[in-house]
Amino acid sequence: MGLKFRCERDVLAKALADAGRAVTTRGGALPVLAGVRLELTGDQLTITGSDLDLTISVTVEVAGAEDGVAVLPSKLASDVVRSVRAGAVDITVEDDDARIEASPSEFAIRLIPADEFPQLSSPDGDAVTLDAAAFKAAIEQVEKAASSDDARPILTGVLMAAEEGGLRLVSTDSYRLSVRDLAGSSVLSEGQKVLVPSRALKELARVVGDEESITLRLGERDAGFEVGSVSVTTRLIEGEFPSYRGLIPTNHPNQLTVDRTTLLDAVRRVRLLAQESTPVRMAMSADGLELVAVTQDVGQAHEAVEEAVYKGDDLTVAFNPEYLIDGIEVAPGDEITLETVDELKPALLKSAEDPNFLYLLMPVRVS
Amino acid sequence: MRLVVAECTVDYDGRLQAHLPAATRLVMVKSDGCVAVHADGGAYKPLNWMNAPNRLIEDREEGVWTVTSPKGEVLTITFHDIISDSTHEMGVDPGLQKDGVEAHLQKLLADDPTSIASGLRLVRREYPTDIGPVDLMCRDADGLAVAIEVKRRGEIDGVEQLTRYLEFLNRDPMLRPVRGIFVAQEIKPQAKVLAGDRDIGCVEVDYDELRGIESPNLKLF
Repeated sequence: MGLKFRCERDVLAKALADAGRAVTTRGGALPVLAGVRLELTGDQLTITGSDLDLTISVTVEVAGAEDGVAVLPSKLASDVVRSVRAGAVDITVEDDDARIEASPSEFAIRLIPADEFPQLSSPDGDAVTLDAAAFKAAIEQVEKAASSDDARPILTGVLMAAEEGGLRLVSTDSYRLSVRDLAGSSVLSEGQKVLVPSRALKELARVVGDEESITLRLGERDAGFEVGSVSVTTRLIEGEFPSYRGLIPTNHPNQLTVDRTTLLDAVRRVRLLAQESTPVRMAMSADGLELVAVTQDVGQAHEAVEEAVYKGDDLTVAFNPEYLIDGIEVAPGDEITLETVDELKPALLKSAEDPNFLYLLMPVRVS
Repeated sequence: MRLVVAECTVDYDGRLQAHLPAATRLVMVKSDGCVAVHADGGAYKPLNWMNAPNRLIEDREEGVWTVTSPKGEVLTITFHDIISDSTHEMGVDPGLQKDGVEAHLQKLLADDPTSIASGLRLVRREYPTDIGPVDLMCRDADGLAVAIEVKRRGEIDGVEQLTRYLEFLNRDPMLRPVRGIFVAQEIKPQAKVLAGDRDIGCVEVDYDELRGIESPNLKLF
């Protein structure tokens, strides 16, 4: 089937790269999934990549000459288009090859049979609209706490649940837990909840750009997000998300209040000496906060954070520095609070200004 | 294995030419014909070596060994002072035991099968079948046979292996029905799917916990 169009290099390169992010990198049962499917109808070119769990489609405006469908090897096509000189790129599909021309370069790439590309369905639920900027920010606030360990697939997802007339996003890898409420975003019916792979949400956040809204459609087993010219469809994770409400202590006798950026910078400095999985200790007292990291045979770091205000019993709690930084980075506002019970119970990191975010973090046991 | 500790000079003529001046070295001649010249340092790499097959001609009068490979490489070792020359019969090597963790994991689980599932009791470790021993044979609380395959990392191969054992074990009228449990520190999702499809249970175990080591990284749940 022929296919012929002209497109600006940068537009085509970005579309190929975006769709290519869903392309499987592992050799699987379907070699065609190493390719991206190009479908031209008039001047609309849709490029689709999928690993069957995640599908990303990008539609761009091109100068179409002949409608058609073709599957090109994703990485090679993307590398070729990105490498040519800026300007127009002509793509012509003839027989088994796609010819990519951008003067003075000319490439012929062997196609992957298009009829082997799987039929990908889209969820058929009612469309609901989300504020793109708020949803992107919420994704960024929770996705880091999701697990990347495929052995526990449920923890690789972000729970989206209807909560008090709004939408709640929750993620946990069992060491920390992020909760973000989007008040007024009633995209799910009361009591409804779905578990969306964090990978899909991360890809969605990447493509939001300056778009104002995201359209969400939920199916029984999948969810589809449309933002501008990009659609991200993902399989939902099946299973019961851990019961998290009881994990959040209701009474924290100790409270540290500190400027978010000041603490973030200090932890980042001290972390340099928290090597080989050693934690960063936070020594909190009426004098404020002192950060300490000690790595045997390497060295140690101390930093007093005098601006910190602490109310409670003198306490030293140790944390995995990466997890601590992840929480501080995504907490909204300028000032944060860290509420603690003792050195072994979960600490609660919150924004002093925004009650819709919390980050629960387990300490590291130190001798 | 012949081991010669001697002051020697070594000359290699093959892909290049190399000369080792006189010094005390260990010369090893392995039973397959490999010849290696070692200094007193470095973990495993010889100063010079010739892989088998080789032809070794020993000129006892001159104190010179000439080792020739089929490719025409020649290693000449000139002995000036032999300190020790001994030959040892080493027998067949059992091979590298690659994964000490896996063996230890099997032992720990054999000591306490209830860490896999409550009510399990051990019948025998390394229970023999015609195609090799299954790691643990247990009986469950109802007295039914349970074959358990233990891996450090649970992948599809391990499920296939257990499937074959179950096929053989279920031919034994004294044992059947035998169900299987696949146990590993971590089981890949594909392996879980395959195991589920074959009615094989999957259990992930914490090696540190079994050893009684408490992780400093506390968990929420």
